[in-house]
Amino acid sequence: MSAGGRFRFVGVRVGRKDGVLKATGRATYAYDVWLPGMLYGRILKSPYAHAEVRVDATEAERLGAVVLTPRDVPDVLFNPRLVSVEEDTFKDWRVLTEHPRYVGEPVAAVAAASEEAAQRALEAIKLEPVRVYKPLLDPFEATRPGSPAIHERIMRGGAWVNVEDNVACTLEYSEGDVDRALSEADVVVERRFHTNRRYHLQPEPKVAVSRPDPDGGVTVWTTTQTIHNTKILISQVFGIPQSKVRVKKVFLGGGFGSSIHTNLVTLVAVALSRKARRPVKIALTREEDMMHDHVSFEMYLRIRAGARRNGRLSGAEFENVMDVGAHQIQPYPLLGTALGWFVSLYKWRAIRYFGRAVYTNKVPSCALRGYGNPQVTWAVETVVDELAEELGVDPVEFRLKNYVGKGDLFWGQGPTVKSIIRSDGVPELMRRGAELIGWRNRPRPGEQTGRYRRGIGVARGFHTSGAGGPLSGSVIDYSGAFLKVNEDGSVDYVTALQDHGGGTLDAHAKIIAEELCIPLEKVNVVWSDSSTTVYDVCTHASRGVYVGGEAARRAAREVKRKILEYAVRILNVAVGPEALRVRYDEELGDAVIYVEGSDAQTTLSEVARTAWQRNWGSISASVSFRATAAPPSFTAYFVEVEVDTETGRVRPVRVVAGADIGKVINPELAEGQVQGGFVMGWGWAVLEDTPYNPETGALENMGFITDYKAPTAGDIPPIEDFRVIFADTYEPTGPFGAKGIGEAASNPVAAAVANAIYDAIGIRFYELPITPERILRALRERERASGENPPRRRGVA
Amino acid sequence: MNRFNTHIIPVEFEYHEPRTIREALELLARWGEDAKILAGGTDLLVQMKMRRVEPKCVINIKRIPELDYIREGPAGVRIGAATRLRRLERSGAIKRLFPALHRAIGWMASVQVRNMATIGGNLCNASPAADTAPPLMVYGARVKLASVSGERTLPLEDFFTGPGQTAMRPGEMLTEIWIPRQPEGTGSAFIKVARTAMDLAKVNVAVALTLKGWSAFNVRIALGSVAPTPMRAREAEAALEGRPPTEGLLRRVGDIASEEIRPITDVRSTAEYRREVTKVIVADALRKALGMVRVGGGVG
Repeated sequence: MSAGGRFRFVGVRVGRKDGVLKATGRATYAYDVWLPGMLYGRILKSPYAHAEVRVDATEAERLGAVVLTPRDVPDVLFNPRLVSVEEDTFKDWRVLTEHPRYVGEPVAAVAAASEEAAQRALEAIKLEPVRVYKPLLDPFEATRPGSPAIHERIMRGGAWVNVEDNVACTLEYSEGDVDRALSEADVVVERRFHTNRRYHLQPEPKVAVSRPDPDGGVTVWTTTQTIHNTKILISQVFGIPQSKVRVKKVFLGGGFGSSIHTNLVTLVAVALSRKARRPVKIALTREEDMMHDHVSFEMYLRIRAGARRNGRLSGAEFENVMDVGAHQIQPYPLLGTALGWFVSLYKWRAIRYFGRAVYTNKVPSCALRGYGNPQVTWAVETVVDELAEELGVDPVEFRLKNYVGKGDLFWGQGPTVKSIIRSDGVPELMRRGAELIGWRNRPRPGEQTGRYRRGIGVARGFHTSGAGGPLSGSVIDYSGAFLKVNEDGSVDYVTALQDHGGGTLDAHAKIIAEELCIPLEKVNVVWSDSSTTVYDVCTHASRGVYVGGEAARRAAREVKRKILEYAVRILNVAVGPEALRVRYDEELGDAVIYVEGSDAQTTLSEVARTAWQRNWGSISASVSFRATAAPPSFTAYFVEVEVDTETGRVRPVRVVAGADIGKVINPELAEGQVQGGFVMGWGWAVLEDTPYNPETGALENMGFITDYKAPTAGDIPPIEDFRVIFADTYEPTGPFGAKGIGEAASNPVAAAVANAIYDAIGIRFYELPITPERILRALRERERASGENPPRRRGVA
Repeated sequence: MNRFNTHIIPVEFEYHEPRTIREALELLARWGEDAKILAGGTDLLVQMKMRRVEPKCVINIKRIPELDYIREGPAGVRIGAATRLRRLERSGAIKRLFPALHRAIGWMASVQVRNMATIGGNLCNASPAADTAPPLMVYGARVKLASVSGERTLPLEDFFTGPGQTAMRPGEMLTEIWIPRQPEGTGSAFIKVARTAMDLAKVNVAVALTLKGWSAFNVRIALGSVAPTPMRAREAEAALEGRPPTEGLLRRVGDIASEEIRPITDVRSTAEYRREVTKVIVADALRKALGMVRVGGGVG
């Protein structure tokens, strides 16, 4: 910060550091990595939803391919996502398996000189079914006694556990006397919700390049949100010391949770390259990316909530059954965070929670921008809207009266991650948003006639900034940074933290420039790897700026302290480092170090040069940082929609999106996150799903994005009808007051859209997505049931 | 399922880039059914990657200048089969004379795809959802098919014989689309219902009619994605033919069209929804076409 408390870089619009690289196509993504002697790999996917198979690769080997079968991979069970502590990590995956449990599960792999040759070899592999089971595609059917067991036993930490009735894991929790609270409530609403099962559709499909090294280790370039956890998992599965596993950082074409874990393609590439003794690249096709890798968590939620006439919530029951697919990618911590999302939205006062994750023979679920938060927020914000209506109070005021805000205990990331809220822009966002959208004059359900009906919906939400807290808890969350000053006063910043493309590392560079009072151009972000960086858990939980940025700031502060110590030697009139001030000099393009009320001054470059010339030594700092809070970034959406009651089509007309992310470091990029969050949320609300064929258990669309539609620019309101507002807040625990944004930007969108549709046509939908087909059917049913006069409120499950 | 992908072409094939129609037809005659014509590749390459077709020979006709043109004449407009969609979208003649076709093309895929895809390719792919088909059908377009032994023309509506199937014989190639000028007082419109702004149709419809006095004549209604081929709704047309297009009648025409179609349930939509929405968009398209006549815009 410069003198006078004004920021030079933080909050200022500047060009992106990686902009030219990306615009000219010179940014290196994993797919761009090419190595001498490299082979191309392809993965054989199970066509069976649940079977035991035998692999016959004779023909593929005759074609000259290197073939990898389940017998060639270590007999090790693992969970691809390392985020919980070991004793809370459930392991049920293998690199390749002769017992595939979903259509698309990797069974074998081949490597050959070209992708085409590899594909032909892949097609030559024979898969003989030894035993085929009936696919279980519904979690309630899966838990019925007599259903085939998807897993007999799995591991929790280092111990075996038996799986009963296909239940992967459970969590129960209660606080207060819920039964009494609900019996004393003046109004009680009970609703059941069923979410869709969405695909991430991150721009870059999974890629892994693995090179076996002469020291017995491997070097890996891959699509990952965490190079260190990838390193650890490769080490655990293959028994290679971590010092011999080098995971290189490359540009990542979007994450949204799709690479929050180590993708199977990475482990297969490692195994294949070790067998072939040559580098191997595997690039998933888009179809494979959807079919074998990941979708969001599909949830069946039930909420029973009560409120008193005084407008206060009195208690709630919350049930959460999650269809996690065939394997676990950390549903157990999600059982905790789903509860965390629930209790941290509103002060229910008494709660009872029942959470259960169930195996089915479907593509495994992992985090998708919000880790269950959009799902839970949709249900909660629907129930809260209905309670407000029952009580006859304004939904905005009702929310403001009951939300969890400043000074309250907050545990978004689950029962083991608690901290107190210190910054809260909710009232500002709700009041300003309501005014900008014209909330008071909004249409009311049942009020409109005619073909096109408009509605305005509101929903609010939050996401945590990271998963830190004062207690260690069961979640791993810390970051690190290494910063060194070059001999000319420029700095190199080395971090493991991955930028998904949203500009997280631009924010770090600004934070460093701000702290050191040097121009942004002098901060070089180094493309590093797992062996040259200190540990960072992952870019997830909207922690990139809040946790990683604070690590960078602390490294910069440490470097600054050393700079000032050296500066004292140059400015020998100063009594000590505390006597020195630093300011950014735009003309010099340097940090000027001076003594107040004196002419004595020097610059950072001079200090750096002198330290080199006089043999004082390098100035550097290495920091490992654990945040002791995970403050909520709040968002509030007001969305106006128009429903065509003859075709059921719904279009967004206007959006006012409010975000409290503390001090905004990158205004344009933050605004882009909010707009992108809306677009993604809009798709979840009205468009996206991955249905399965009930007979074969395969995805109906076979992974083709021609049949997995996400909104395009033509489907959202023009930018002039999309207003983004940021609350004027400052988070005392964040770097220069900042909090996260990624997930908060999309969490309440589906809820706001659903509430707007209700406002327009007077029908609530409890199943996502709310497609034109569903809207039209509901409208027709209502017409048949009651003629032209729609009832005030009606539910459609 | 391990054969499905849209990334790798595992089949090996011979590749030719003829410079004249004659050369292309000779190649076709030589290779017969083992050859596939590449006129843009936006459908063909995907099908090859998925092994839905495994040609031994691919003949790229995009290097043939005599297949890339838009020629306005007194009787109508001739379009070379390898004319890219983007060129048609930017053509003043198409926009002025055939607004329904212009609208349909502008609504197809993305600019990048329209810069590759051709009108002939869209027709020969013979998708029931082909967006260029219904407008061309309501304008009474004819297609010219050539082979080494000669040429023939036929109405576009006789061209489609089933999903992915056409009346083309082995050795034949589509070379030209001819669209007649529409009579004075004609209005036309195209409407598509899809999941997003960039998608294949759940249902698409094109209509054209000529207003004489208060009554509608030459009523043509064509629909896509509701039957094995793009289809005319002839009973619906007959119900409006020669009559004043009142609001009540337009709705009835929509209802009749909805009875004529044979939709299925697939990943894009349901048969039920397709029937419901056909009623609505047929009437919408007719209103829009009438509006065009009355305001005098887009009249051929």
